[in-house]
Amino acid sequence: MSLTRRAFLHSSLLVTGGLLLGCTSNSPRILSSPKESPNELGLWLQIGTDNRIGFVVPSVEMGQGVTTSLPTILAEELDVEPEQIDIVLASVHEAYRQQGMFTQGTGGSTSIVKWWEPLSKTGAAARIMLVQAAANRWQVAPTECQTKAGQVLHVDSGRKLSYGELAEVASKLEVPDDPPRKDPSQYRLVGQPLKRLDGLAKVTGQAQFGIDVKVPGMLYATVRQSPVFEGEVLRYDEPSALSVNGVVRVVEILNGVAVVAKKFWQAKKGANALRIEFSGGKSLGLDDQKLEQQLTEALDNLGKVEIFGEKTLDVEYFLPYLAHATMEPMNCTADVRSNRCEVWVPTQFPEVVRDKAAEMTGLEPEQVTVHTTYLGGGFGRRGWDFAIQAVQASKAVGRPVKLIWTREEDTQHDFYRPAYKSRLQVQLGEDGFPSSWNHQLAGPSAISEFAWQLVDTRAVGSVLKWIDWDVTSTEGTQLPYAIPEHEMEYEVVEPGIRVGFWRSVGNSHNAFTVESVLDEAANLAGRDPLEYRLALLNDQPRHRTVLERAAKEAVWGAELPEGHARGIALHESFKSIVAQVVEVSVDAGTVRVHKVHCAIDCGRYVNPNIIRQQLEGAVVFGLSAALYEQITLKDGAVANSNFHDYRVARLSESPEVFVSIIENDEAPGGVGEPGVPPIAPALCNAIYAATGKRIRRLPVANQLI
Amino acid sequence: MKKTLRINQTAIELDLEPDTPLLWVLRDEVGLTGTKFGCGIAQCGACTVHLDGNPVRSCSLPFEAVPENSEITTIEALEEGGLHAVQRAWLEEQVPQCGYCQSGQLMAAAALLHDNKQPTDTEIDQAMSNICRCGTYPRIRKAIRRAAEFQVQEA
Repeated sequence: MSLTRRAFLHSSLLVTGGLLLGCTSNSPRILSSPKESPNELGLWLQIGTDNRIGFVVPSVEMGQGVTTSLPTILAEELDVEPEQIDIVLASVHEAYRQQGMFTQGTGGSTSIVKWWEPLSKTGAAARIMLVQAAANRWQVAPTECQTKAGQVLHVDSGRKLSYGELAEVASKLEVPDDPPRKDPSQYRLVGQPLKRLDGLAKVTGQAQFGIDVKVPGMLYATVRQSPVFEGEVLRYDEPSALSVNGVVRVVEILNGVAVVAKKFWQAKKGANALRIEFSGGKSLGLDDQKLEQQLTEALDNLGKVEIFGEKTLDVEYFLPYLAHATMEPMNCTADVRSNRCEVWVPTQFPEVVRDKAAEMTGLEPEQVTVHTTYLGGGFGRRGWDFAIQAVQASKAVGRPVKLIWTREEDTQHDFYRPAYKSRLQVQLGEDGFPSSWNHQLAGPSAISEFAWQLVDTRAVGSVLKWIDWDVTSTEGTQLPYAIPEHEMEYEVVEPGIRVGFWRSVGNSHNAFTVESVLDEAANLAGRDPLEYRLALLNDQPRHRTVLERAAKEAVWGAELPEGHARGIALHESFKSIVAQVVEVSVDAGTVRVHKVHCAIDCGRYVNPNIIRQQLEGAVVFGLSAALYEQITLKDGAVANSNFHDYRVARLSESPEVFVSIIENDEAPGGVGEPGVPPIAPALCNAIYAATGKRIRRLPVANQLI
Repeated sequence: MKKTLRINQTAIELDLEPDTPLLWVLRDEVGLTGTKFGCGIAQCGACTVHLDGNPVRSCSLPFEAVPENSEITTIEALEEGGLHAVQRAWLEEQVPQCGYCQSGQLMAAAALLHDNKQPTDTEIDQAMSNICRCGTYPRIRKAIRRAAEFQVQEA
């Protein structure tokens, strides 16, 4: 998917005309135009007279499979094969903004949830118009026609016309406002384990990520940023950097300095030669111990509640800051000219990139073109800080610049999953089940950091403390279980470390806490953890089904090899419910995860192959974090720097993963994130079953030695 | 320094700073961007290429240390005029998600299977130390076994 191919697709359709269709999220009306540029219209579906079918995928592809699943929805209603569709990665247009979203973005496991309806509607409308065009040509009733693989067929006469031949005429017909959709029993593609359309490009090295972008005359840059967050540049040795072969300029940018050179390696050597120093910063002096003190003080401010009874729990849980550590380091290519700006960027928020680029250059947003590329991992990290830097660097040198962070910069300047501490006070009734559940949570607010960056004022962040509690910190504390009294309190703590959204966000830490504590309650009551949960889910049939399925697939209760044990956890997030059973053994303090059985209820679904991929991946991603990952703070900065000291899971540490998908007719739920939350508690519940040691801090790391 | 490298069976004359890592020679000088930058310290394996058939982490191999006349193979030329058994197995098992690390994974897997036609699980674990953050490891394991079957069938 090269840049030239994209340009070709657009211009070729412009020349040849055809049918252009789409519908914006703000209006239920489907729009059509035979004339204007699809790029300007933001229309999704383009059928050329040359039979080329173009589709602008409104979400970015970061591994979650949208460049396969979204075309599948369209292809199903349009009656074409997914392989017939040319994918175009969306630029910025309000039509690509999800309904209810304040900006065009990909996140929150919403692509299928939000795009299914408008995409199926667009495909169905186009099909009806093409059939009508054929029926008019043949002077027959549309009901006598069928569609298949991009053709309209008149059943009785055997006459056929391709969609391309009909596109021009169809584009002049009235667009049906509410076209009938297929009954799910008629689906050929939706629900099938179709192979990914991006597979071939990704096994041959042809897939183009941001870091692979080439622009004529391009220079390269890399950055040095303040280790203490929001520190000021104090001094740097510009002459030394400029004396490095190939170095062109040293530019002050957001959060630090960029060195621009003819080649990346020269830029990196130039950056080393800067010997840059910073001063101050909002996390100055912070370390792991002080961080935990702040969290503990916040819990103390909330104060303990009084609990009574023979069987009670009063426990504290801690989770560290985490990096996203996407395999593709942050990067962006920008070309700033006097009257326009082009940006090529792997980002989850292209509209914000456009607006920030306009702000940095003094151009109007309409003068900024954002080309999104494949993302080498996203997980919530990819915003716009690095894109601003690329724009600043290009503007300073007057040439296109590809700016690439080193892994060290990436590790030390992430928007981290916040660290949290929770206090849980639970009282069991005479029946052994929780009669009251009190959860106090202390930690940073990811949404306030996000809001602050968006409006360039801290006011929004601090206002959030008062107007409502922060869902990005507290989501996942609500339980599906029947517990008579449930209380939740949240205290915002701001230690000064940059925070953001990390795959499954608030659920990523709260699920660990609540599903571990529920296990503690079951043990205190002397009950089996599965049976205990099921007994609390009498009013939650979907949760029960998921839990029972995972347990059945794992053969819960069956005998295991010597030294092995199982743990279970259940969590609902992003409109989907996931249960996981983990089988572990612990030998000389080292945990070995053998098998993970997952069950998911994500309602109606598009592609079970992609769901399995996402669940398997979520298990490995979550296990990596639970077992090994921790950002360590020292002198106000992140002490980790690369994969040697920010340890992540490798293949040898990866379990067998089995995925079971519940079949039902419920509304679609998310798939990218819901597999992450249950894995940490299921793991630690298994460790408890194996060793009798309750893990209340992550990562597990060396705690069992 | 000047040196001629044989990259994907083409002799290319290069005049570069001696400490330039082979990774950046391939990406920025030769324009072969299938080989990826991940860590720069030979930890993650995204930059894996073959040097005379052996897997090397090109981010940590300076230009000056690449022997003249050695044969360098990248993902773009893993198999001339078709797909290598590992690439076909990767598609069959639907391995890639984001896809960024997969060039390196494929090069590591191809080298493993070249030396060891039927690797055991332990041998796969030892040979495949490349990092994937999407968590494709379970499928990589299956795909390597599948590729080994392909090689046996086609031998």
